[in-house]
Amino acid sequence: MALAQPKITATEERLSALRLPESGVWLARARGAAQDRVRTMGLPAARDEYWKFTPPGTLVQPEAPQAAVFRHDEAPVFDGIERLKIVFVDGVFDAAASDPLEGEGLQIERLADVAAQDIHWARDLYGVLETRGQTPVDRPLAALNTAYASDGILIRVTGHVSKPVSLIYHHESTSSDAILHHVMKVEEGASLTLLENGPAAARFNKVMEVDVADSAAFHHVRAQGRDHERRAATHIFARLGRESTFKSFTLTVNGKMTRNECVIELTGDDAVAHVAGAALGDGDFHGDDTVFVTHDAVNCESRQVFKKVLRNGATGVFQGKILVKPGAQQTDGYQISQSLLLDGDSQFLAKPELEIYADDVACSHGSTSGAIDEDALFYLRARGIPGNVATDLLTLAFLAQAVDEIEDETLRTEMAARLEGWLSRRSG
Amino acid sequence: MATLDQTTEVKEGVDQETVDAVREVGGKYKYGWETDIEMDYAPKGLTEDIVRLISTKNEEPQWMTDWRLEAYRRWLSKKEPEWAMVDYPQIDFQDQYYYARPKSMEQKPKSLDDVDPKLLDTYAKLGIPLKEQMILAGVEGAGDTPAEARDGERKVAVDAVFDSVSVGTTFQKELKNAGVIFCSISDAIRDHPELVKKYLGSVVPVSDNFYATLNSAVFSDGSFVYVPPGVRCPMELSTYFRINAENTGQFERTLIIADKGAYVSYLEGCTAPQRDKSQLHAAVVEIIALEDAEVKYSTVQNWYPGDEDGKGGIYNFVTKRADCRGDRSKVMWTQVETGSAVTWKYPSCILRGDDSQGEFYSIAITNHHQQADTGTKMVHLGRNTRSRIVSKGISAGQAQNTYRGLVSMHPKAKNSRNFTQCDSLLIGDRCGAHTVPYIEVKNNSSRVEHEATTSKVDDEQMFYCRQRGMDEEEAVALIVNGFAKEVLQALPMEFAMEAQQLVAISLEGSVG
Amino acid sequence: MLEIKGLNVKLEEEDKQILKGVDLSVEAGTVHAIMGPNGSGKSTLSYVLSGRDGYVVTEGSATLEGHDLLDLEPEERAAIGLFLAFQYPVEIPGVGNMTFLRTAVNAQRKARGLEEMNATEFLKLIRQKAKELQIDADMLKRPVNVGFSGGEKKRNEILQMAMLEPKMCILDETDSGLDVDAMKLVADGVNALRGAGRGFLVITHYQRLLNHIQPDVVHIMSDGRIVKSGGPELALEVEENGYGDILSEVA
Repeated sequence: MALAQPKITATEERLSALRLPESGVWLARARGAAQDRVRTMGLPAARDEYWKFTPPGTLVQPEAPQAAVFRHDEAPVFDGIERLKIVFVDGVFDAAASDPLEGEGLQIERLADVAAQDIHWARDLYGVLETRGQTPVDRPLAALNTAYASDGILIRVTGHVSKPVSLIYHHESTSSDAILHHVMKVEEGASLTLLENGPAAARFNKVMEVDVADSAAFHHVRAQGRDHERRAATHIFARLGRESTFKSFTLTVNGKMTRNECVIELTGDDAVAHVAGAALGDGDFHGDDTVFVTHDAVNCESRQVFKKVLRNGATGVFQGKILVKPGAQQTDGYQISQSLLLDGDSQFLAKPELEIYADDVACSHGSTSGAIDEDALFYLRARGIPGNVATDLLTLAFLAQAVDEIEDETLRTEMAARLEGWLSRRSG
Repeated sequence: MATLDQTTEVKEGVDQETVDAVREVGGKYKYGWETDIEMDYAPKGLTEDIVRLISTKNEEPQWMTDWRLEAYRRWLSKKEPEWAMVDYPQIDFQDQYYYARPKSMEQKPKSLDDVDPKLLDTYAKLGIPLKEQMILAGVEGAGDTPAEARDGERKVAVDAVFDSVSVGTTFQKELKNAGVIFCSISDAIRDHPELVKKYLGSVVPVSDNFYATLNSAVFSDGSFVYVPPGVRCPMELSTYFRINAENTGQFERTLIIADKGAYVSYLEGCTAPQRDKSQLHAAVVEIIALEDAEVKYSTVQNWYPGDEDGKGGIYNFVTKRADCRGDRSKVMWTQVETGSAVTWKYPSCILRGDDSQGEFYSIAITNHHQQADTGTKMVHLGRNTRSRIVSKGISAGQAQNTYRGLVSMHPKAKNSRNFTQCDSLLIGDRCGAHTVPYIEVKNNSSRVEHEATTSKVDDEQMFYCRQRGMDEEEAVALIVNGFAKEVLQALPMEFAMEAQQLVAISLEGSVG
Repeated sequence: MLEIKGLNVKLEEEDKQILKGVDLSVEAGTVHAIMGPNGSGKSTLSYVLSGRDGYVVTEGSATLEGHDLLDLEPEERAAIGLFLAFQYPVEIPGVGNMTFLRTAVNAQRKARGLEEMNATEFLKLIRQKAKELQIDADMLKRPVNVGFSGGEKKRNEILQMAMLEPKMCILDETDSGLDVDAMKLVADGVNALRGAGRGFLVITHYQRLLNHIQPDVVHIMSDGRIVKSGGPELALEVEENGYGDILSEVA
């Protein structure tokens, strides 16, 4: 179907503010094809069904909206954890602050470094998983990313990895507009834990393509916060092989506009995919979790757990879908989205979907929204706990059910502690 | 593995009665025959002239003609909606008859005694009593009627709509004594213009959506109900819709007004002959419930679903909406959707009055190549409003069954509640079951809970039933009836039996 | 210690008077029991004293050691020593029993100007108290009241009472849903806390709990008022003859 003229105009305006980076053959081809995809789809507009609950304007406009730099004196996230650090400042790789790009069982490269090469292993994945994720729903911001990403990290995991890889983002410029594209290839039987944290830029468009081969495992823990003025659109495209595992958790605190899309395709039998998120929003916070899980193999399990606590007019969005393709028998699909509204101005908008074409399945979803449980609050207060402390306690308990989805105990404890710290700072 | 002596729980509510009923009902689509009767048609296609002609045939006043023409003009600029998960060939709206009337109805019969015997036979064959001494059996022969209904001598007034016109309405006198107006909408436009003018289009505006707009332009007949303040309607009201003529769209319009403190229970049934070519049905139902009023609206939709290869069947595009306008008003929609090739239908409640309540109970069964995209909208505007949604979708063969719903809590709808339970059952690996709920919560004193599950018929339950001697189809019918029990219980008794049997018939050929 | 004078209370949502002039005085170190038929206003009294939303005091006063209770937030009432053992303790998923109690203990200590109890001290104390009430370590780890049996919930209430060391304890139908053994365990827990200037108000429908917790004074409540007060023998009278006789006698 032909695009409406305003959409074409908005798309061209955005593209004209960008420049295709110099690339070698394989990458140039991927970028060119992605640029065509963007033009065919058009960038998101307010009336698009998939953007019904989230106004895409600030993510699409040619220039990034100004965002003040957030200064704080807190210990960095994941501080005490032994990890391989890779640092980006406003989307630009910071070699001095980063560890050497090497590690046991790992092949790590920068996209910008290999861009000029004529051939690279990432060719089979870069923009490829993104393209697969464009059906049945358009994700034009991801295609835009594939075309214009200035840099990114390419990781190939071949064997035993001794410590997590940690991507750290810093925001220094009030008008930075960063586009990063990472590719993770976890080969058969290998496993990787990837950590991400930090405000990346005034506006951040990030795509991560993850290929998890047979019997491989990918664990992802991400902290977005506590900066508030950022605007971010992130995509994860994951493809899972036989008996593989993919687990991703995101903590989102503050942020004027955060849209996290996670697109998972279970292509091998007996694979497991878990996606979870805990979000804490205040004032003009807008946090959107959009998840699309496709079951295209037998006896796979998927699980989505998303919790949001909203107050002072904050908006929380959840769009989650489980698609079970014909033949994907013995599917176990679960999805829960819940929000706690701490006052009358906040809102929760949700579209939890199931689309199922196989009969031997057990799929369910639940969604609830409401105020804090008055009985529980009273019970706590009757035991002498002040109202605000009691509210925080119940808030943490509510979000803990999402944090508990993190498998690794150290990381789980780190996220729980971080959440508690951020919550108490907010109250103060 | 379960051992034989372990008791596998068969879903509650499936009793011997059901099993017997399922056994008794043989054959496939029971209502596929056609009445051979001479018809008056308006020329094929849709133009302003056709709209005027329909208006003239119904002897309508000018304001009504203008209202239709306005709708027609708006319709021209509207597009068919494409968002539903249904797929059907392009409908040629100019290749349809928009008006068909039995010749014998040219002069409106003064009483039921004057109605063409062929028409009366048609309804008798459908099990619809147009003689006042009969009670509505719901299915052929009073033998199937539950004993309770016979003992209670429950009366049901019927308005029978045959293609484009209402052929008669029973129990007029008794209803009149109670102050209840129950007649065809064409009679209402003539006899009660003040009520029609005030309420028609006030719930479903002329330009609401493509099909509703089309209906507003060309609706030929339908039912009208007005229950005055404080009156509890003395009997169930019922409309029976029958499409008979070929290539004819049916566009009926129903308007139900329950004034302050009134109560009415309304039943709707529909069938059509078996034909190779699909037929269009686009109805609009509007309900207005004023303060403390209560309306129950039950539907057993059994339009011809098409054959096993997906040939023919009714395209059913229906807009049903209730406006709980008054405080403490209550509307309950119950539907059993077993027919039609394509169903597009979302009976909804606007909960405007404080403390008003909306309920939606639905069973949608699709088999062979049927497609259903159905659900509800609960729009909470008033304080302390309550809504409850129970949807049971059953999909077999190569059918697609979608629940689509909206629960919206507006900022002013303080202390409101919604509970939604949405379950799908799949029979066979070539069908689909989908759930598309929209949840919008804009205040924090309201609570919204949504639960949905999708599964197949439980193997252990099947085995248990079969070990006790049932064949697969019987067992499936039994289990499905249990699965849908909560909705079946919400139906008036006359319909509950029919619905249970329909469940079995609709699923024939779904296993093995 | 607890002084209630002419307390009149109605529901916030509807114009329904529940308490119609309650007068009651519980002296330090004594156990008072309130008995009465269902709907007489017993539980309402406990909720109003502890500060639950949904009730409006239209007249009268309630003080604890001179503090105006009605003017305080629920946690402030708890901090000055008021404890309510709930009839139906709420389940709080996600909040560990131990975390909950430690937060409560320290919040109260803070409000009273005491130093917070450190984790070791706290652990030692709670283990000792839990042992006395036959509460195992597993129960302390689980979320507050989640999945607890009726008896476990009530024992947990008494454990909290023991940990928080209140001055004035209100037990709202603590016997409901308990078998004889569980009731005895709970009663022993309560009895261990008697004395030391602590006041008790035991709300119950049946006399049986009072066999285990001997009251000093028994009050009969009906239709929002205390209609008769007396010694422990009053409870036995109810047990034998039901409420009918007493109510018709005072009518």
